[in-house]
Amino acid sequence: MVTVTDIRERQRDIAPGDTTDMALFVRTSEETMEGWDRQRIVDALMRETYIDPDTADAISQEVEDIIRGSTINMVTAPLVRELVDAKLVERGLEEIRKQHTRLGMPLYDVNQLIMHPNKENANVPHGPEATNLTLAETIKKEYALLHVFSQEVADAHMRGDIHLHDLGFIDRPYCSGQSLEYIKKFGLNLPNSISMAKPAKHPEVLLAHMVKFAAGLQSHFAGAIGWDAVNLFFAPYLVGMGDREVKQLAQMLIFEFSQQAVARGGQAIFTDLNLYWEVPKHFRNVPAIGPNGEFTGKTYNDYMKEAQRFAWALFDVYLEGDGAGRPFFFPKPLVHITENFFMTPDNERFLNHICDVASEKGNTYFVFDRGETAKISECCRLSFKLEASDLEDAKQPWKMRYSALQNVTLNLPRIGYISDGNDTKLFENISRFMELAVKAHLEKKTFLERLLALGEEGPLALLTMNQDGESYLRMHRATYLIGMVGLNEMVKVHTGQEMHESTEAFKLGLQVIAHMKLLAEKMSKHHEMRFVLEQTPAESTAYRFAKLDMRFHSPQAGHIVKGDIAQGEIFYTNSTYLSNDAVMNPIERVRQEGLFHPLIEAGSLTHIWLGESKPSPESLANFVTKTFQLTQNDQIAFSPEFTTCNECARTARGLMDRCAYCGSEDVDGITRITGYFTKISSWNKGKLGELRDRYRNEAFIKKRPDDAQVKIAV
Amino acid sequence: MGSIKIFTKAECPKCPAAKEIGGILKQEGLRVNYYDLETPDGLAEAAFYSVLSTPTIIIEDEDERILAGWRGSIPTLQEIQGVIRA
Repeated sequence: MVTVTDIRERQRDIAPGDTTDMALFVRTSEETMEGWDRQRIVDALMRETYIDPDTADAISQEVEDIIRGSTINMVTAPLVRELVDAKLVERGLEEIRKQHTRLGMPLYDVNQLIMHPNKENANVPHGPEATNLTLAETIKKEYALLHVFSQEVADAHMRGDIHLHDLGFIDRPYCSGQSLEYIKKFGLNLPNSISMAKPAKHPEVLLAHMVKFAAGLQSHFAGAIGWDAVNLFFAPYLVGMGDREVKQLAQMLIFEFSQQAVARGGQAIFTDLNLYWEVPKHFRNVPAIGPNGEFTGKTYNDYMKEAQRFAWALFDVYLEGDGAGRPFFFPKPLVHITENFFMTPDNERFLNHICDVASEKGNTYFVFDRGETAKISECCRLSFKLEASDLEDAKQPWKMRYSALQNVTLNLPRIGYISDGNDTKLFENISRFMELAVKAHLEKKTFLERLLALGEEGPLALLTMNQDGESYLRMHRATYLIGMVGLNEMVKVHTGQEMHESTEAFKLGLQVIAHMKLLAEKMSKHHEMRFVLEQTPAESTAYRFAKLDMRFHSPQAGHIVKGDIAQGEIFYTNSTYLSNDAVMNPIERVRQEGLFHPLIEAGSLTHIWLGESKPSPESLANFVTKTFQLTQNDQIAFSPEFTTCNECARTARGLMDRCAYCGSEDVDGITRITGYFTKISSWNKGKLGELRDRYRNEAFIKKRPDDAQVKIAV
Repeated sequence: MGSIKIFTKAECPKCPAAKEIGGILKQEGLRVNYYDLETPDGLAEAAFYSVLSTPTIIIEDEDERILAGWRGSIPTLQEIQGVIRA
């Protein structure tokens, strides 16, 4: 909060007629009024910086002279600080000025923020809690760039060479994946909590614990909160329950998570539910935990039926949608498709069921775990293959807690612009940008370690709680993500062609990502940390990079950025994707984009934009099976588009100007922005540009006869 | 005849044998290309052909259509020659 200060100073040596004007009071940041005292400037400089006392004194004198010589009788504390900073600049004391700087926002910006919605993250609604969040984020961003990161890294971010994600959440790790077993075994016993809950006896209580714990985790992580094998770990609590009760529980779970717009900053918790039709191999012989946190005497393999009933019921709820028939934005269901999936009884029926949901509402994510790999997904496309030590942890699933500490994304088109078509320079510059990303990770890690070292007294007490012999956040298992935006445009800058336009262009794209992967492995060995590539969702980064490149690399960038320059709706293609407007058969897109996926360890995804078409569940099931069997693709999602009416609360297929039922113009478009569904009215300009460009695969699958014929209006 | 692509890695026990076969085929006048998965070019080519294990041997015709492939295993010289002569 910025204070407005009335400063008056008693000046004995000025003429009596001037006394009123020069009698200044300072309203300090503690919201008090204090008399002018030059020594306070000296004290602040000595306390906050490494300045020598004589210079501090001289500066305080000069600032006092300015105030005396002016006609000011109303002074703010920030103004005094700015005057001091100006004196530091005059003396060339740049480092001391940085140490002495004040973080905050101009009055105009605060007013804009309170009055208008923030479009950087479509999952942030507009309201007092959201503006609190944005205000706090703004100050923490500045703090991060001035205090946590070196100038080299901060400048690279500001220039747009790289993007440091979630700077406003600098004092937290990026995202988290865990198991319900932790709260099943230990109950809800959180640091700073005013009460402790023993392990749940009933499924509804377990659900309540899960939601509360998720809210606690949301306050300690910047991004997604993922849960592994949710249907399986609920299963021991479902024994003896009828179908109606199971469905009721499924409904409670989905509504609880989808209506958490009362949590941090008014944001719904970005929740991923990982679901399995079979009992994953690594959990089959694991002793199951049931009511009261006690072992049931059975293994999880014995609970397959209950787990399947719950998974089925969850998709029943997804199929119905919310009270207005809209798709649930959260929690996101990720179904793991494995070789065993196809050998598990009733797999065809279940696949059709989840494909029905995919076609009707788009919720289902199909995660492909081929071979003997098992994965846990944490964020919209962030997943990790379980290693030998993880499979050992799987015997005690509450230990399966994972986190990515930070995500740093490279502006690949920028690398193209500065490499002048020269291969050697291109790969050298990629290495240079990667080194910057690694430096950023080291700096964030050091900062977080300082916070974690404060233990129970520190801000991350929840992450240091120790109930099973190690702290909740297992730093030794943490991952550091290196993402990319605009591979397609980088290739175009370098070769003149987009990746879908020639084999040579496509292969250059593969070489770039292969180079990044090998470099990440090399740097991981060197620093004994896990640097892995990730397909950055880039909800705002693809827009930000395009805007910055238009500023620094025009006119060249004008020929490269996607979207409508006149409207300012410009963007780069996300991560390693082929161009959104490339007209190609969806299975071919899935295959070609999937060739990148084995190189991207932290997970990848291909979107299939359905538009207004509504394919049959059988055709989607066939598509999913083929994708599993014939491609290397890691994950796919089908994205339909909807128009929901604020007047009659009904939802129709396609994006329309007015309601298909009542004709009202008070409608919202809904579709997937990156890794989640949301209202289009909350999208930033770059994503709106992308939406216009998306090639909808409406022709490839037959429409149902009851499809509404609607026009696209975005 | 198109080309024979052999994908290898340094620490792969069967890879020397695959390279040896490549050497013999080269002596017979065939076009043999080696790809090391620990280099960007080799890894990119492996990704393009969905090569997930080493050694992998892929035979292509002049139009870069795959005629045969052995992934994670080594064919006999006769098997390869059979494909080439077919």
